[in-house]
Amino acid sequence: MEKRSYFAGRLLPYALLAPQLLVTIIFFYVPAVQAVYQSFLLQDAFGISTQFVWFENYQLLFADHAYYQAMSVTAVFSILVTALALSIALLLAVQADKNLKGAGVYKTLLIWPYAVAPVVAGVLWLFMFQPSLGTLARGLHELDVDWNPYLNSGDALTLVVLAAAWKQISYNFLFFLAGLQAIPKSLIEAAAIDGAQPMRRFWTIIFPLLSPTAFYLLTVNIVYVFFDTFGIIHAVTNGGPAGATTTLVYKVFNDGRAGGDLGGSAAQSVILMAIVIGLTAFQFRFIERKVNY
Amino acid sequence: MAEVALSAVGKIYAGSVPAVKDITFAVPDGGFCVLVGPSGCGKSTLLRMIAGLETITMGEVSIGNRVVNRVEPMDRDIAMVFQNYALYPHMSVYDNMAYGLRNRKTPEPEIAARVAEAARILELEPYLKRRPRELSGGQRQRVAMGRAIVRKPQVFLFDEPLSNLDAKLRGAMRVEIKKLQRQLGVTAIYVTHDQLEAMTLADMLVVMNQGVVEQIGDPLTLYERPATTFVAQFIGAPPMNMIELSPGAAPPPGLDGVQSLPVPPAGALLGIRPEHLAVSADGEPPITDRPGDVDLDLTIDAVEAVGAETYLHGRLGGVGQSFTAREHGKMLLPPGTTRRFIARREHLHLFDAATGRRIEARS
Repeated sequence: MEKRSYFAGRLLPYALLAPQLLVTIIFFYVPAVQAVYQSFLLQDAFGISTQFVWFENYQLLFADHAYYQAMSVTAVFSILVTALALSIALLLAVQADKNLKGAGVYKTLLIWPYAVAPVVAGVLWLFMFQPSLGTLARGLHELDVDWNPYLNSGDALTLVVLAAAWKQISYNFLFFLAGLQAIPKSLIEAAAIDGAQPMRRFWTIIFPLLSPTAFYLLTVNIVYVFFDTFGIIHAVTNGGPAGATTTLVYKVFNDGRAGGDLGGSAAQSVILMAIVIGLTAFQFRFIERKVNY
Repeated sequence: MAEVALSAVGKIYAGSVPAVKDITFAVPDGGFCVLVGPSGCGKSTLLRMIAGLETITMGEVSIGNRVVNRVEPMDRDIAMVFQNYALYPHMSVYDNMAYGLRNRKTPEPEIAARVAEAARILELEPYLKRRPRELSGGQRQRVAMGRAIVRKPQVFLFDEPLSNLDAKLRGAMRVEIKKLQRQLGVTAIYVTHDQLEAMTLADMLVVMNQGVVEQIGDPLTLYERPATTFVAQFIGAPPMNMIELSPGAAPPPGLDGVQSLPVPPAGALLGIRPEHLAVSADGEPPITDRPGDVDLDLTIDAVEAVGAETYLHGRLGGVGQSFTAREHGKMLLPPGTTRRFIARREHLHLFDAATGRRIEARS
C-alpha cells in the first residue's frame, strides 16, 4: 500500500506547489508565449518599427535552404551524440560495476566532465584538435590524416560531436551504474547457472532490466543535444564551416542575436520547441511501451 | 543423477578468518542432504561453492566422480533455487523456465514439452503467460522449482528456498519439494536454518557451526544421539534442557539420581529433552522410579498449552535452573505447584563440559 499524507487545509497544497510552479511559469511558459507572439512580428534592425505579419516569418523560413541544412545537421548531430554518449556510458558503467580495484577513483574521475561548463568543454577539445597547435591534431597529421575542422565540414562536425558526447557521458554513466547496481546479484547468478554466457547474460537479462534507465536517459539526452550543446558549438566552430555545424538551436542564436532578425529567430525557436515536444511525446508513446515493468 | 562428494573443502576470504573449514562428506546418488546451522555458520558459502558461485580455496568438490573445482557453474549440471527466487522479472513464467534450455540450444518443441510437463507437475499451467510480479509468493516459489526441474540436472541446490513464505505455505511446499525430489530421483542439497525443515526433509543431515561440521547423520540419529552440545540444543524444539554437573560435588537441590553418572574430572553437562521429562497426571498412578533414572522436583512458573500438548516451565527445587517439560494433552498445573518429573536413564545425554562432546554410556 502506498502511504499518503492528507492535508486539512485547501490552501496548503497550493502553497507548497507554488515555488515550483512560479519558476516554471516565469522561466518557461512566459518566454514560450512571448516567443510565439514575437514570431508573428517583423522588426527593423534598430527596433524602431514593429509590424504584425502573421505567418510571414514562417513562410520565409521554410523557403530558406539554410534552414533545411540546419535541420539535417541537427538530425545527424543528435543521433551521433546520443548514440555515442549512451553506448560509451553503458560500456563504462558495466566495467565499473565489476569488482575492480580503485573503482571509487574511477567513478569519481568519470563524473568530473559533467561539472565542466559547455563552453570550457568546447575550448578544451578545440585546444586538443586545433589544426596548427593541438596535440592530437598534430598526431593525426603525422598519421597523414588531413585534419582541419576550420575548413573541413566533416572534421568540424566530428569535433563537436565528440565534445558534446564527452560531456554527457558522465551523467549517463551515473544513471547506468545506479541501474546496474539495482539488479539483484542472484539474477545474474541464476542466469550463469542457466547456462548463459556473459554476453548473452548482458543482452537477455541485464539490458532489459536497464531499459527503464536507458529510456529515461534517451529522453534527457535528446533534450540535451537539442538545446544544451549550443555553448560547445559556439566555442569550437561558431556553426561553421559554411553552416556545417549550425544546428537548429545555434541558428536561433545566430539569426536573432547576430543577424538581428528577432521575428525569424522566434519562429525558429517555436518550431524547435514543437520538434522537441513531438519527439518526447513520441518516445513516451512508443518506446516506453517496450520498456519492462 | 550423481553423487556429490566434498573432500577437505575450505573457504578463506582474502584477509579474513576462514568461513568454512575442512569439510568432508558425500551425498549418495538420489540422496537428500540438508545443511543446517545458525546464520553465519558457512552453510550458504558451502552451497555456493558446490554451485560454482564461489571459488574453492581448499579441497575438492566432485559431482558424479568429476572434480568440478575449476568448472563453470553452467557446466556442472546443477540447478539452483534461490532464497529470493531470482526469477527474471521481464520474462513470462514460460520464458523463465525455458531460458536455461534455450541457452543450451534445446529444440523449441522439446522445450515446450518439458515446460508443459513441469507446469503440470507444479500446477502452474494457468500462469504460464504471466510475469513473476503477477504471482503470489508460493507460485513464484514453484516457478523457481520449475526452472530447476526442466533442465533435468544431476543435482538440485536449494538456498533457503522457503524462508520468504508464510508458515502454512512453508509446510505445504516442504512436502512438495520432498515428493518431487523422490519422484525425480535427483540428488539434492538444501540449506536452511530451520531445524524443523531440516529434520523433515533430510535423509542426511549436516549440522554446521562456525564453519565446521558438528555432526553428520540421518535426522533421527542426530536427534537421539547428538554428538555435541551444539547439535543437542540446535536440533529439537523446544531445545534440550542442560544442567552442569561437577564431579564429587553434591547435585543441586531438587535433582536426584545423578550420582551414578560417569562425570569426567572437568565436569559434565546433563541433557534431557523436554518430552522425556515425565510427570504423572492427576488420577494416574505415579510413574515408578527405576535404578539409574533421574528425578527432578520442578516448581511450575509458566504453562503453555497448545492443545495437543502442554509445555511446562519450572525451576529446579523452586529456585534453581529453569527446565521445560513437554507433556501430552492438557496439563494445566497452576503456577507455584511443585511436581516430581522423571527422566529414564536411556533418555539421558551426557556431554563433557570441557569439549562439549558426547560421553557414551559404558554399560
